[in-house]
This record gives sequence, C-alpha cells and structure tokens, in this order.
Amino acid sequence: MSRSRPPVLVYRWRIALTAAVLAGLFGMLVVRLVQLQVGASQYGAHFLQRQGDLRAVRSAEIPAYRGLITDRRGAPLAISTPVVTLWTNPQELRGSGRESELATLMNLAPKSFEARLNRYRNKQFMYLARHQTPQVAGAVMEAGLPGVYGKREYRRFYPAGEVVSQLVGTTNIDGAGATGVELLFDTSLQGRTGKKQFIKALHGESIRDIGVVEEAADGQSLRLSIDLRLQHVQHRELLTALGETGAAAASAVTIDAQTGEILAMTNLPSFNPNRRGQLDLTTMRNRVATDVFEPGSTVKPLTLVAALESGDFDIDTLVDTSPGRITVGGKVLPDPRNYGEITVSRIIEKSSQVGVTKIAQAIGHERIIDVFQRFGLGQLTGAEFPGERSGRLPDHDFWSAIDRVTPAFGYGLLVTPLQLAHAYAILANQGRMVPLTLLANEGQGAAGRQIISPEIADEVVTVLHRVTGRDGTAQRASVAGFNVGGKTGTIHKVGATGYLDDRYVALFVGVAPIEAPRYVTVVVIDEPKGDAYGGGAAAAPVYSRITQEVLRIQSAVPTDSDKQSPVKTVAMAERDNPRV
Amino acid sequence: MRAVLSASPLRIALCAGLVLFSALLVVGETHQTRLLFTKLQAQESERWHLQERYSRLLLEYSTLSAPHRISALSKTSLAMRSPNTGSIKVVAQ
Repeated sequence: MSRSRPPVLVYRWRIALTAAVLAGLFGMLVVRLVQLQVGASQYGAHFLQRQGDLRAVRSAEIPAYRGLITDRRGAPLAISTPVVTLWTNPQELRGSGRESELATLMNLAPKSFEARLNRYRNKQFMYLARHQTPQVAGAVMEAGLPGVYGKREYRRFYPAGEVVSQLVGTTNIDGAGATGVELLFDTSLQGRTGKKQFIKALHGESIRDIGVVEEAADGQSLRLSIDLRLQHVQHRELLTALGETGAAAASAVTIDAQTGEILAMTNLPSFNPNRRGQLDLTTMRNRVATDVFEPGSTVKPLTLVAALESGDFDIDTLVDTSPGRITVGGKVLPDPRNYGEITVSRIIEKSSQVGVTKIAQAIGHERIIDVFQRFGLGQLTGAEFPGERSGRLPDHDFWSAIDRVTPAFGYGLLVTPLQLAHAYAILANQGRMVPLTLLANEGQGAAGRQIISPEIADEVVTVLHRVTGRDGTAQRASVAGFNVGGKTGTIHKVGATGYLDDRYVALFVGVAPIEAPRYVTVVVIDEPKGDAYGGGAAAAPVYSRITQEVLRIQSAVPTDSDKQSPVKTVAMAERDNPRV
Repeated sequence: MRAVLSASPLRIALCAGLVLFSALLVVGETHQTRLLFTKLQAQESERWHLQERYSRLLLEYSTLSAPHRISALSKTSLAMRSPNTGSIKVVAQ
C-alpha cells in the first residue's frame, strides 16, 4: 500500500496542469467569442452581422404604380398596366435538361436560345422577355422550370394612340418619363418605389420575408386640359388636309383664351406610342411647341394694335396704297393689285403689304416690337412643354430701312404656333394675358394681366371678323351659323439659298365666336403642293371645319339661331315628327 | 431599499417567471408579425391582380369609346349625322 502513494502525488499535479491548460484554452475561446460577438473590433460583431446579411438578406423593389393621365373629361390617355418580366439564372437553368421546354413555351427558336444561354453561362441573370402579360408569364411560371423567375413591373399603354402621341409623350422601358407630358410631370406621376427585405437561400430563392423597409407610394394621376374629342377632330381634319394639299406636315392647336387651357394640340405625321422599336424621331416632335417659323401676315393684327395704341390711326383711317407697290431700301413690296385709298381695317382684311408698310413707317418699329414683346413673342408661353422654343424677336445694332418694316408683316422674327395662339388669346380675352397650361384648371388658374385696353382688343377682333367676310382673304374660314374671325398667313420657307419661291407654310389663326371670343385655333400646313398653297386656301378651310366641331362640342349657341322658348321647341318637334 | 434588492428565492423565481413570460411574448409577436406580413403580401398580390384587371378594363373601355369608333359606328350602323346649324334648336334659359 505504502509503495503506491508517491506516484499518485506525481499524477495529481499532472492532472492539475492538464486541467489548467485546457481551462486556459477554453477561456481563450470564450474571450475570442465575446470579442467577435460583442466587441467592436475590426472583425467584431458589426462586421460579422454585415457579412451575414450580405450573404443572406436581399432587398427587392416594390414597383410604384405610375399615375394615370386623362383628358379633361376623364378619358384615359396613358395607363400603367401590370406586366411580368421573365428572367433566368442561366447557371441554374443550364444542364437541367429543360431548356428546350422553356424555348417552346416562350416561342423562341431553340438553337438561338441555346446560344444565348451559352453566352450568359457565367452570369446569374439573363432577361428572358420583358413586359409580358400576366397570362403569358403565368403559363411559363407554372411549368416550374429551375432558375426561371418573374418580376412584377408596369408597362405604359396609350389608348388614344397617335392622336395625342406627341403631347402625352412616352416613357422609357424602365418607366421613367422620356418625352412630352410624361417627362414634364414625371416627378408627380412616378410615385416612389418601395423596398422590402427577405432572407434568401443558397440559390437566391426567398425563404422568409423580413418586412417592408420603405412603402411604395403610387404616382398621382393627372388631368390634362386636353379634350380628347377635339383632339380627334383636329387629327381627322389635319389628315384630310394632308390628303387634299399634299403637304408634308401639319399642326393645329386650340386654346381656351379665358382660362389659358390648351384644349387640343395635334401634329402630323404622328406615331403610335404603343409600338416601340420603330419610332421615327421626326414624327415624335410636338411641332406646335417646338417648331419655329416666321409668322408672316398673321402678326399684322398685332401691328394693328401698335397702330391703334399710337393714337395716329383708328380702324377707319384712310391710307393710300396706290400704286399697289412700295419700295423700301431698294426692295419692292407688292400688293396683288392696286387697292387705292383704303381704311386701316381693309388693309388687314386684304392683308395689304403696302398698307402695313406705310403704317409701320408712320409709327416706327419700336412700337411694333414692343407690342410683340408684350404679347409674349420671343418668350416661353408658360405651358412648359419639354423642348418648347421661345422663338426670337428681331434685334439689330443697326436698323436698315427694310429691317424697320419687315417685322410689321411678320418677317425677321420666329414664333411657334403655340405663341401665336397665345398672342391671339390676348385679343380674344379683352386684352388680358393668361398663362397657358396643360392642366385642367376650370378657370381657377392664374388671373392674368391686362396687356392692352379692352377697347383696342375689341376693335381688332372686329377687324379679324371682317377678314372672314365677303371681302376678306379668309372667306373659307367662316363657320356656318357662327361669326368667327382670324388672319391668314402664307410664308416662304427658308432654304440654304434664302427664301424659297416654291415652298410655303400656310397659316391660319382664328378666334370664335366673335360675340364672346373664347376659342383660339392655329392651323399650320407645312409645304402644301399645287395651287392652293396660301393660308386662305390651304389652312382656312381646315380652321373652319375644326372650329365648327369645337363650337358644337363646347355647346356654343349659334349666332343666327333665334332663341326659342321650350314650349315652342316642343311644338316644333311635334310638327316635324308628328305622332301617328 | 435593501429589502427590495435582497434576493429572496421567491423574488428570483418571480423574475425568472417574468423573463420567461416576456420571452414567450417576443416569440408570439414575431409570429404575429410574420402572419401579418404574409397577409400584406397576399393583399398586395391581390391589389396587383385587381390593378391588372382595372387597367385592362380601362383599356377596353377607351378602345370601345374612342371618338373615331363612335363616329364611324354612328354613321354606319345607326345612320346618324352631325346636325347642321339649321337643325339645332336652342332652348332659352
């Protein structure tokens, strides 16, 4: 027994040492664990948390619904509709043996699909088809193919198609506004894309949703000042005009002079915004706002305003226009024939070059340019249409004799059809300028400001009415049952060598009805062919047909209709359609 | 003060019980959150489908009510025409 004691003593300290070492190692592990899990060192808790999230947590976008664009009566012009974008992870799909099945489902040529998959073999993302209808995408998804996923998105549709395409504009494939109203009001239409987080498994499939990080906010819908019915009328009439005159392009715009609302705005040639891929940039321009030209005779009423404001003229002042031509700075300005001594009113009715030149010389170009400026020429209209041009007013260091008279009959300055409409709206609105708008405001918009006296505006409107009368240049602008007014313009186009003799722009600007002027319409026919190239022949009839419909749609009361009491009307109706 | 802090077995048991209770509440709440989130997802999905239907109906409506279609139909199948000024009677207010 006594022999066995000493070894036990030896083993005891060995055991103690081993235990201490083990405990020490375990302690180090604990310290390290605490360091990693709790500590704030470089590779501490924060770092690990982040690394873990990077591997497992994914966030996905929640698409926001893009706002609806409607016309003033609520007819939809642009609608976002849910679609599914199909994509695949080629690394999962390849080698599953079901590639051909997918190709068949999606109507793809198996060979080229195989080749494409091959090109993407090192990638984890490949679009299969963007913006599929939920039905088509549903069929593909239901097949349960490995590595095939669907992503919810929205696609924009334009039910009115080419009738309002340049105005409404387009979005790009990612749903952001690219042109037109879509671009102008992009921020409010767009809404805010939301974000949600989920935990993913090894191959990316979601295994658990964590929650919504940011709520998606839907875009606001937008009610434009446009009336789709008028838009159709303009589109139809411009199409007819292109057919009749062989013109290259045509535009029209109708505005409500009292509220500044743009009621319709049409351009031809047009494009179908629902058919991507074959977009031609020349057809996408909203020419009404973006194209400038010399306004020609259509600014003569503004010259008349300057003349009346000068106090040297009233509309009955006689001006001698014989012998039917006038020489200014070595350049001969002719009238079609010698009108002799005629009134200022008749000068505008006949669009006499000689008469206007004499008025311009009498009152000086400064007054005329000043009126142009006050009427908004050379400035943006307030509609803020993307790409809208401000045009240009003449500005010379040295004004030669001819420079001083050309603005009076519309040469040497550049305007857009929209500016022209805006300027005439001031005449129609008793001298008040109201900023133009593309949004329906029901007359609750900006108050506007007085530009010229109501008396002068009335006088000019009276003269405009005479232009469409028996002796005027625009008899064909008249509208059955209503009194309208307006002014024609025929402008030589400018080419590389200066003014071209055989290429014209035919213009007509009109106001209606004369008794309570409200609707201003500008018609531009670009390069009409044949003999009927003038504003009176090419543009005025289009104005007449458009205005007829404008007045009917806006329920204007025909001038020559004798108002009747309801009883009498019923009696007449019974007489016309006797009950049997 | 001391009496409150002194650790009698009863107090320890009470604390343990409270801890356990709150731990169970956390579990319960997490579960509720998940259920609600699933419900939210389901409703979002439903909203998406409704939106799809709504926009499809809107498209159909605007196709059917397109002015050129109306004018073509009224002329062909209904034999209507635009009234000329002579046939418009205005009722005095």
